[in-house]
Amino acid sequence: MAREMTPPPGGFGSGRMSRGMVVVKPKNMKGTLRRLIEITKGQRKGLGLILLLAVLASLSAIFSPYLIGQIINGIEAKETVTFLLVLLAGLYLSDWLVRFLQQFFMASIGQRMILHIRKTLFGKMKDLPIAFFDGRRHGELMSRLTNDIDNISTTISDSLSQLMTYVVTIISVLSIMLYLSPLLTCVAFLSVGLIFLLTKTVTSHTRKLFAAQQEVLGKLNGQVEESVSGLTMVKAFGREEALLEQFEENNHKLAEVATKAQIWSGYLMPIMNVINNLNFVLIAVISGIMAANGKIGVGLISSFLLYSKQFSRPFVDIANIYNNFQTAVAGAERVFEILDEESEPADVEDALTLENPKGEVIFEDVVFGYDPEKPVLKGVSVKIDAGMKVAVVGSTGAGKTTFINLLTRFYDVNSGRILLDGHDLREYRMEDLRSAFGVVLQDTALFGMSIRDNISYGREDVPLEQIVKAAKMAGAHSFIRRLPKGYDTLLSQGGAQLSQGERQLLTIARAVLESAPILILDEATSSVDTVTEQRIRRAMLEITEGRTSIIIAHRLSTIRDSDLILLMEDGRIVEKGNHEQLMALDGRYATMYRTQIGE
Amino acid sequence: MKFIFGYIKRYKKMFFTAVLFLTIETMADLLQPTLMSYIVDNGVQQKDVKQILLYGVMMLFIAAMGALGAVVRNIFASKTSQLISMEMRSDIYKKVLDLSFENIDRLAPSSIITRITNDVTQIQNFINGTMRIMLKAPITCIGAISLIILRTPQQIPMMIVILCISFCLIGANMWFGYPRFGKVQRCLDKLNDVSREFLTSIRVVKAFGGQQQEEEKFGEAAGEFAKAGVSATRVSAVFSPLINLTVNVGIVVLLWLSQNQNSGEIGRLMASVNYMTQVLFSLGMVSMILNTAVRAVASAGRVEEVMNEVASQKDGEKTDGEGAQADGAAYTSAQADSTHRGAKVCFENVTFSYAGEGEPAIEEVSFVANPGETIGIIGPTGCGKSSLVNLVPRFYDAQEGSIRINDIDVKEWSMDALRKKIGVAPQKALLFTGTILENLRWGAGDATMEEIREAAKIACADEFVTGFEKGYESLLGQSGVNISGGQKQRLSLARALLKKPEILILDDCTSALDATTEAAVLEGLRRKADEMTVLLISQRISTVMRADKILCLEDGKVEGFGTHQELMEGCDTYRAIYASQIGGGQIG
Repeated sequence: MAREMTPPPGGFGSGRMSRGMVVVKPKNMKGTLRRLIEITKGQRKGLGLILLLAVLASLSAIFSPYLIGQIINGIEAKETVTFLLVLLAGLYLSDWLVRFLQQFFMASIGQRMILHIRKTLFGKMKDLPIAFFDGRRHGELMSRLTNDIDNISTTISDSLSQLMTYVVTIISVLSIMLYLSPLLTCVAFLSVGLIFLLTKTVTSHTRKLFAAQQEVLGKLNGQVEESVSGLTMVKAFGREEALLEQFEENNHKLAEVATKAQIWSGYLMPIMNVINNLNFVLIAVISGIMAANGKIGVGLISSFLLYSKQFSRPFVDIANIYNNFQTAVAGAERVFEILDEESEPADVEDALTLENPKGEVIFEDVVFGYDPEKPVLKGVSVKIDAGMKVAVVGSTGAGKTTFINLLTRFYDVNSGRILLDGHDLREYRMEDLRSAFGVVLQDTALFGMSIRDNISYGREDVPLEQIVKAAKMAGAHSFIRRLPKGYDTLLSQGGAQLSQGERQLLTIARAVLESAPILILDEATSSVDTVTEQRIRRAMLEITEGRTSIIIAHRLSTIRDSDLILLMEDGRIVEKGNHEQLMALDGRYATMYRTQIGE
Repeated sequence: MKFIFGYIKRYKKMFFTAVLFLTIETMADLLQPTLMSYIVDNGVQQKDVKQILLYGVMMLFIAAMGALGAVVRNIFASKTSQLISMEMRSDIYKKVLDLSFENIDRLAPSSIITRITNDVTQIQNFINGTMRIMLKAPITCIGAISLIILRTPQQIPMMIVILCISFCLIGANMWFGYPRFGKVQRCLDKLNDVSREFLTSIRVVKAFGGQQQEEEKFGEAAGEFAKAGVSATRVSAVFSPLINLTVNVGIVVLLWLSQNQNSGEIGRLMASVNYMTQVLFSLGMVSMILNTAVRAVASAGRVEEVMNEVASQKDGEKTDGEGAQADGAAYTSAQADSTHRGAKVCFENVTFSYAGEGEPAIEEVSFVANPGETIGIIGPTGCGKSSLVNLVPRFYDAQEGSIRINDIDVKEWSMDALRKKIGVAPQKALLFTGTILENLRWGAGDATMEEIREAAKIACADEFVTGFEKGYESLLGQSGVNISGGQKQRLSLARALLKKPEILILDDCTSALDATTEAAVLEGLRRKADEMTVLLISQRISTVMRADKILCLEDGKVEGFGTHQELMEGCDTYRAIYASQIGGGQIG
């Protein structure tokens, strides 16, 4: 599976690949290429221009040695070469112009293409269901947004024009060489064959070594990451020695395999040099003898030598370019894989709008599993009246959070149905449905924006008074006020400068501001101390007055006053009722309650 | 940069051997066109096949020498650069393990990780490159120019002009390009930030309908990145073809000036043209080298920053053995006692603030935990509970006051001996890649399977571990079994118990457990609690209620210290917490 392949090393934005890359082969070269061509539609004229310029550039590179040879011949023969010199100067000038234009346009066309693909991919990602994100590591998705896309475009704009250049070069150089001297061309071919064979032998060797290097490097980096982020435990348990030992072992292994890989790949250049030189000498000797016998002019030797050098290069590089190309196509495949994912189900035709819902929620025999084979909810039925305060309790893994995932349609039920105000959730417009819920989730997601913008997230132009009011209700106002810039304090990503409790308060303020008809709190106050929690709850009760609220909590003391308590166990609701009823029932809830208050 | 040279110095013999052979390799390359010109001038022009063959053989010989030089250079260069980076990696790693948390906080863990991984690779590429092309380019350039000048002195003025123009162009390229590439990097960081934020906040984005906003944010960041990229590449699009043009014009001028040469020097002319192309090649290389060098310098600076961090804590000298000697028999008995019953922990007027500035996290805290006692620590969010216990194993050092363990200041204990006494189970359980067994054995390498299972049973972990296909041999981590946050906390607790510490620090380590499991864990702990001194942090009053003594904190200050009963009578904060959790009819 391409998805599980190692992303290119060097972190994000390492851009072009080096010689030592591990080549990742695409699964479906043809199909992916076709789609790639499809995606470059808007840039085709530009791409055509670049390729044309590449051809022109290589042509000028090809004709200059020929011209130089002619000039040298002329000088030797004591003829005037002024015209040829002007021609050469003109050739160089046009070469400059072509190169400049090529690079100039390549920059903008390449970047435009990247931007286009990137925006398309992100646009797709934002519509994908939660299930997609839950099943994948963030780092991997990020590398698709950055590395993979960069690779695609460098390959298209770069490798393609390079490939073009080489094809043009090989064809025209070959024809010129054949025109100049078929015999010498055969000699030159000899070295190309040799170089080709050697490159193959060496790379087949190095590929394995580089793969091994990549593996050890991954292990080593993994250890670094673990030990730095887990340093408290390392120190508390005095693990420094053991870790160092393990690190040294991998470090040595890495140095060993990397040295081998580097030495092997390093042989390529000198060997090629020798072959090139051998070629040079052979051509020099043979052409020298030919010239001495008056069969060819001296200038031809000069041109030919330059050509034979130009000739062997593309053969070596083409293998490399092809490898890069393959890796990029594999990257494109990974990008397309996401584009092919199924988006969140679109709203049904004539979907219902939902304005000011009453908030009556009915679960009808709901069965759901993240993996349909392993249901998490095994037939849940419950009726929540409008305006009810409901609490869902139960042990870890009982399906409490799943309950909420279904209600907000982060996931859809496998069977059964959920009704809001008498209609199946799936009948409503998604946008309306989600804005009917004010959600405070377990993980506090804060953005790298000002506190003010974080509280009013998802809405525009909210007056400050309203934000402050929401913050006050959530109990966040007092700590915000103490920050140097108050509500304009810029949060670092994830709100790292705040404590977990403060972060929770901000996310609560966000939900308060949204003042949605149905409030959902998923362990929203787990990191807030109980005194503050109580204050928040009192404020919440005030704002939720008349609204439906659903609370998931560990601490039973905080949900005692709910109208309806649902005790979940193993995907089913095993006890329901209010606190007094459940205590009177003297079942599991009563036991749990008693253990918690320490009786 | 200095710091890189330090490493090169250590391997200077190997480094200079590589450079020596690189010179041989380059010289051999440079000699080829000259020999070629001899073939043309002395052989072809004179129609002397013997001369042609003679110089041909010489060329081959020199090519072989060059190849030999390259092979030797390659071996030495690879070995040296890999050895250097290996040492560098291990030096930083050692350094990081030695740093105190104050240092780590200052540098930020994620940045330390990139320094060890990315930056070292960057430096390695540079060192390796130095011995490959970086020195080769200037040698080629200088060699080619000198050969042109030596053989045709009349070309000196032209060569000077070409070089001046070229270097101006390279300089201009750097001058305009460098800040632009810096901007590209910053834009890329921004783009990464935006995508990471989107991915980690996906639920909130969807729940609050922020897709549009996120798409705009991303589009903007991607657009900025593209713009920066275009502007940066355009700089080199302007300058690098100009460098080409300069040298090419040089070739035309060279040919122009040679028009009236006598034919005996044709070979020499050809050689000159050839050398000009070599100059062109090496000039192209120079700007590439400068780019790598700039990056390597930046990386070296970042690595150096870590290396220059001075561990802010000094290690003490006392170990249990020495302590016994110094304090005589009285201490020995106390020590013997302590291994059974835990250690005495004593805080005296301790004040601590992070990085030594700002509001103190802990202010004037004093209390005593006697051997075998369990001290519950409770208080509102951010009141300094975790900061307090972090001072015991010296994760941080207090600015004022003293913390004593068995009547010896923690700063006098050797770090090793101190931390051996302490077991920690934090709220955020950290487990490393490896088997469950390996993770549990962290503090007790020689623990028997029975001991391990006993500890796991107390932590309520045995049941789910044995439920795994491979039991205690199950792998944790990315390729291993999936375990929940609560299961992680239980394993981390078992690990701390297995160490059989004199002081056990439990920092809200049951927060992810449901009430029933938590009660079972606490019950198990209580049975063991007499064997050690326990510092038990919790948000839940029911968890700390049964502790021997309870420390109630607010804003870093002690609000009360005593038994549950005493605090209920004399501490308002404690009563308020109690009321909020257990009740008394105060809930709205």
